[in-house]
Order: sequence, then C-alpha cells, then structure tokens
Amino acid sequence: MNKISLEHITHHYGEKKVLDNFSCSFEEAKNTSIIGPSGCGKTTMLRLIAGLEVPQKGIIKIDETVATENEKILLPPHKRKIGFVFQDLALWPHFTIFRNIAFGLKDGKGGKVSPQVNQILDLFGIADKTRKYPHQLSGGQKQMVAIARSLVHQPEIFLMDEPLANIDVKVKEEILAHIKHLKQQLGFTMLYVTHDHQEAMQTGDKILVMNEGVIEAAGTQKEIGNSNNHFVRSFIKL
Amino acid sequence: MGGGVTRQIARFVPAVLLALLLLGPLLALLVRWLTSADNVSLLAFINTSTLLLVGKSLLLSGIVAILASIIGTICGFLLYRLKFLFRGFYKMLLLLPLLVPPYIFAVAWKDGFQWLFGINSAINPEIGMIIVHSLVLFPLAMLITGTALSQIHSGLEEAGLMRVSFRRMLTKIILPLIRPALTISFLLILIISLSDFSVPAFFGVNTFTTEIFTQFSAFYNHQLAISQSFLLVLLCLMLLLSENKYLSDAPFFSVHVKGSSTKHYSVSKGKTILHILLWILLVVVLVLPIVMLFHQALSGREIFFSRAWELLSPTIFQSAKLAFLGALLISATGLWVAYLKERSRFPHLNTMLLLTFIIPSTVLGVAVIKFYNQPATNFIYTTILILLITYVARFGFIAARIIGNGIKQIPGSLEEVARVIGIPPVKRFFSISIPLLLPSLFTAFVLSFVLCLGELGTTIMIYPPGTELMPVKIFTIGANAPLALTSSMTLISFGVTMLFILAFFLTGKIIFNRFRYE
Repeated sequence: MNKISLEHITHHYGEKKVLDNFSCSFEEAKNTSIIGPSGCGKTTMLRLIAGLEVPQKGIIKIDETVATENEKILLPPHKRKIGFVFQDLALWPHFTIFRNIAFGLKDGKGGKVSPQVNQILDLFGIADKTRKYPHQLSGGQKQMVAIARSLVHQPEIFLMDEPLANIDVKVKEEILAHIKHLKQQLGFTMLYVTHDHQEAMQTGDKILVMNEGVIEAAGTQKEIGNSNNHFVRSFIKL
Repeated sequence: MGGGVTRQIARFVPAVLLALLLLGPLLALLVRWLTSADNVSLLAFINTSTLLLVGKSLLLSGIVAILASIIGTICGFLLYRLKFLFRGFYKMLLLLPLLVPPYIFAVAWKDGFQWLFGINSAINPEIGMIIVHSLVLFPLAMLITGTALSQIHSGLEEAGLMRVSFRRMLTKIILPLIRPALTISFLLILIISLSDFSVPAFFGVNTFTTEIFTQFSAFYNHQLAISQSFLLVLLCLMLLLSENKYLSDAPFFSVHVKGSSTKHYSVSKGKTILHILLWILLVVVLVLPIVMLFHQALSGREIFFSRAWELLSPTIFQSAKLAFLGALLISATGLWVAYLKERSRFPHLNTMLLLTFIIPSTVLGVAVIKFYNQPATNFIYTTILILLITYVARFGFIAARIIGNGIKQIPGSLEEVARVIGIPPVKRFFSISIPLLLPSLFTAFVLSFVLCLGELGTTIMIYPPGTELMPVKIFTIGANAPLALTSSMTLISFGVTMLFILAFFLTGKIIFNRFRYE
C-alpha cells in the first residue's frame, strides 16, 4: 500500500520550475533514499509532502487521503503525522534540550519530565544534556536532538533532509544505527534525502535518483547498481 | 475558504487603516495643492527666490553629505575592519551623536562660536549648520559602510591579496563591493540634512524646511507652504528612487549581522596615531560640545541653571511618557510591518513607511495639520494621538528595518518545525519568534524612544494644547532668552537623554547576554 503519492506535481519558485508534472509514490513502512545533485528538487519534494509548500498543480495523497490539491492544502502539516528533520536541524536556540524535545507535547509543560521524552533521550544517549542549550552541544549531539525531537511525536512518516551532512563518519554511523533501530521499533515510512550515494545505499530499501525535477532511476540498491542510465552511472560513479 | 477570507481581512483591514492614518495626510495635501491653486498655475510659486533657496539647501546638504560620508567611511573601515584595543569603546561613543537630538549639538556649537569668536563672529551660520550636521550624521555613514564592510567574505579579499597590493585590493575589490552602501549613506545623509528643521532653525539659517515652517506658522501662507512642501517631497522622492531597492531593505539597520567570516587586519605600526586620531574625533564630536554647553551655562551663574530646571522639569516626565508610548507604538507597528514583508511577502507597508520616513519633518507637520484638523478627527488633532501617529510616520521605517533584519536572521525552519508538530500560530509567534527577536525589538524600542524624545521639526507644529515637551520648550524659550539660559536647558536635556541611554544600555546588556545563543 502506498503511504504517500505525488501525482502530476508542478512546482516552481518564480520563473524557475523545480518539478514538472512529477509523479511518484512511497510504500508504507519502507525506507526510501532520495539522491541527486543540488537543486534537483529533493528538498522541495519533502517540503511539499510535509505541507510546508503548495504545488501550483497536482495532487499529494497521504494514506490515500488527498492532502494537497491544486494550490490548496486540505490536510494541514500537523495532521499529516509527519516528523521532519531539516538540513539546518532547526533546533530552537532559546529552548533547553528538554524543552526542544518536549515542546508541543501535552504533558511536557512546566519542566515536568515526561516518560516519553525521557525514553527518547535515553535511547539517543543524550539524557544528561537536558538542561543544556543547542549551542552547547557538539554537531553529532545536535543531530541526535533534532532526530529525537521529530520522533518523540511518533510520526508515521519520517522525512529527513540531509541531516547528517558535515559530521564525521563515526557519529554518522552511530546515528544511522539508531535510526534503523527506531525504524524497526516504530515502523514509520522514511524518506531520506542525501547527496551522498553511499549513505543512500546504506539507508534505503529503495533508492530514487533525481535530476532537474525528474526521476532518472528508482529501485533497490541492486537495481540502481545495474542501471544503464547515463546520469545514474556518472552520478553514483558506478 | 472562510478561514482564508478571515485571514485576508485580518491582514488587510489594519493595513488599510495604517495607510489611511499615515498616507492620508500626504494624499490630502496633494489633492489640496492640485485643487486650490486659485486659478493660478500650480507652479507659480517657483520663482527666482524659491530656486535660490532650493539651490542653497541642496548645496548645504550636499556639502554635509560629502563630509559626513568621507569621515564615516574612514571610521567605518577603521572600526569595523581593523583589530586594535578599545575598538568597541570607540564605536559605541562615536555612534552616540546619532542618539542625541541634533538641536543639543546646534546649541552647543552656536555657544562655542560665540564663546570663541564673540557675538558678532564672522563665522557664518551656514558653516555652523554644516559642521553640526556633519558631526551628527557621520556616524550614520560609519554604520552603513561598516555593516557593508563586515559582510564582505574574507575569501574575496584574500584572493585579491594573493595577486595585488593592499591598496589596489582596497580600490579594486572592497570599494566596488561597498558601492551601494556608499551611495546610500550619501543619499540618506543628504535627505536627512535637507529635511532637518532643528539645526538650521537654531542657527537661523534659512533653508527650504525652515522656510516652509515660517510660511505656515508665522505668515499663515498655507498655500505657499503646501506648494513648497511638494517641491521638497519631490526632491526627496527623486533621491529615494535612485537607490530604492537597497534603501527599502536597509541592511545597515540591524542588531547583529550573521554569516560571513570577515577579515580583520591587525595594526602593527601606527597604533598610537590611530588612537590619537580617534581621540581627536571623540573630543570634537562629544567632549567639546559638552564643554561648550557647560561653559555657557555656568557663565550665567547658578540663577540661570535653577531657572532652566524650573522651566524644563515639568516637561521631562511628559516628554518621557510620550516617547515611551511612541516607542511602544513604533515597535509594535515595526514588528507587524516587518513580519508582513519578511514572512508574508507583503512589502507595501514597508515601502509606505520608507516614504513617510523621507518626508521632511515640517512637510509632515503641514500635511498632518491639514488632514486631522477636522471636526470628525478632532479626537486625534487635539490629543497626543496626533503626535503618536506622526512619530510612527517619521520613525516606523527604522524600527521595521531593525526588526525585519532580525527576522531575516531567524531561519524559517525554526517556525516550520513547530508548524509540523502542530504548534498553533499564536503560540509559535510568542514562544519562538518573539524570544529570538528580543534584541532587535529592544534596539528598535530604544532608538524609537530617543528619536521621539528629541523630535522637534513636526512636534513644534502639531503639539496639542496642554502638552509641554523638552525640545519645543527649549526652542521657544531659546528664541528670546539669554544664551546662558538656553545652554542650561540644553545641558539638562542632554543629561536627561544620556540618563535614558545609560539605563537602556544597562538593560540592553542584560537582554543581549540572556538572549544570545551562539
């Protein structure tokens, strides 16, 4: 069953067309890695799915329900059961780590430690950082907080926009292992945007290769590896 | 659908109301000028004397703009790009003249000239005006060019230095990159000098702005004042249009410029000369005016000081109260206008505030009187509401840009992530945006407060009955009082302003430290 469907999406920023009559779908509880060069429309696709932007044309369905249709948001972002990790992580600098994670949870007010928050803090190994502010953490710890914040709301769809850029390999592997573990536990549908093909191969059940708003290839690691598409071969350096 | 319409109404109704309150007087003035010319040509007032006055005003302000831009650009480079001890201290003190009402410096220098050269001094009032305007306005050029210099990425300069000498890199890379800032600082100083009423009025220089005031308030020749106002508005508009894009964003009105890694050059030789030069500037800009005020005030014996206090003390609380209300209103309007521009892609109110910002003070005074002096709007005309509306028109743009540039530095993703997890818009605004904007909001408030406290050009024309304000009192008493009394009053006014600045500075330190996340 398709968790997310994009049908004939056209989206442009001013004069620049980012997606043109773009269609694709994502199966429930699967990991899809989306790779492609800068400006190919990867981030735009995630933002459209999250409902943060509205396409000029086309339909976006979540669980077979129309969420966006022809410039209209029918299902607002917070009702899409989505967790979003932004490229810049978007940690609120004036909130402590605890408040960053608990903000928006009904029982997270007044500094009371909710079991839900504690659980996720323990899982990511950042329980001792609750009183700190984002600027007091290392790059890897910030990534952990951003991911923990998105997952504490128990999303059904987990969107990650190049969250592991600019961190060292060891921390990256540690975070990827956490995500895999959580994925098995929570069973969410994950869309993972990256420009690093090795990271994509490591993370995705399925890989989508995009270029200039078009899907060049889609399939399993093996299928992508065997692809004859010129762009795919040169981009992934097969 | 219903929600969308409600949202549109909630956005546009206040926008239309603000436009009506601020632009209404200017549009009404235009209509009045076009329709009541008594069958005489609309341009009949343009004669030789008018043209000479325009030429004289432009010449004086042009000289001011050149001098202030040169001094400001040099200071901008020294203080924003060189690495040396007490850089922050010099920067803070040299920016101070921007916060102190210009009439204080005008009185001080006028005193100084009389003290140095005698009452019948050969020093021309025009020269006095040029000196005071240049010294008061060069910090603006310093701020604008300094901000632009801070935004040049070090890589651009280092790449240049690999191939050419520092001097050549300065002229071929740095100067072309800050060209818009240089142009805008020149234009802005030209417009502000052209529009200022207080300094030429205190020196007795007849400029276009003072002429409008005289025609309107002394000779009651409203038609001529209105016609002259339009000529001045036209001049300012022409200047504005030449660099509208850069001015409407005004990146220099910002609390903290984020991002680029700026190259700072260390000073090995000539450190002593640099400190001496900066101290000379500080003495001329700040110390000398205060000494001159003290000298003149004390020369009249204590009796003048106590008389000055007697006259001025009732106005202090009222001025502070009005400045506080004005600053609150300006900051709230600025926040709203900035949010509409930066987050809702609705820049029209920002453009409107830019327009009212460049309108000369006396022109705004004429427009506001003509528009609100009606039975239906008497509740505005006869109360402090008229002053508050005018303050928003005069200084709303500065607040909107300080806050707008603050908003620009908050990544949109911080609000979007809250949206995804279902935080309602109002909670998002107060929990995320406002705390992050506090330094910008505070700066906008403080700047608005000191500007309202020292505003004279419009206030003197429109202050309602029963209102006694510091600058107006000093100006009206100063017209016929002994110089020692005027100096004493000005010194008190300076002291009060400095006390407020000090209080804000200390509060600001706490706010900036508490809300800095880096």
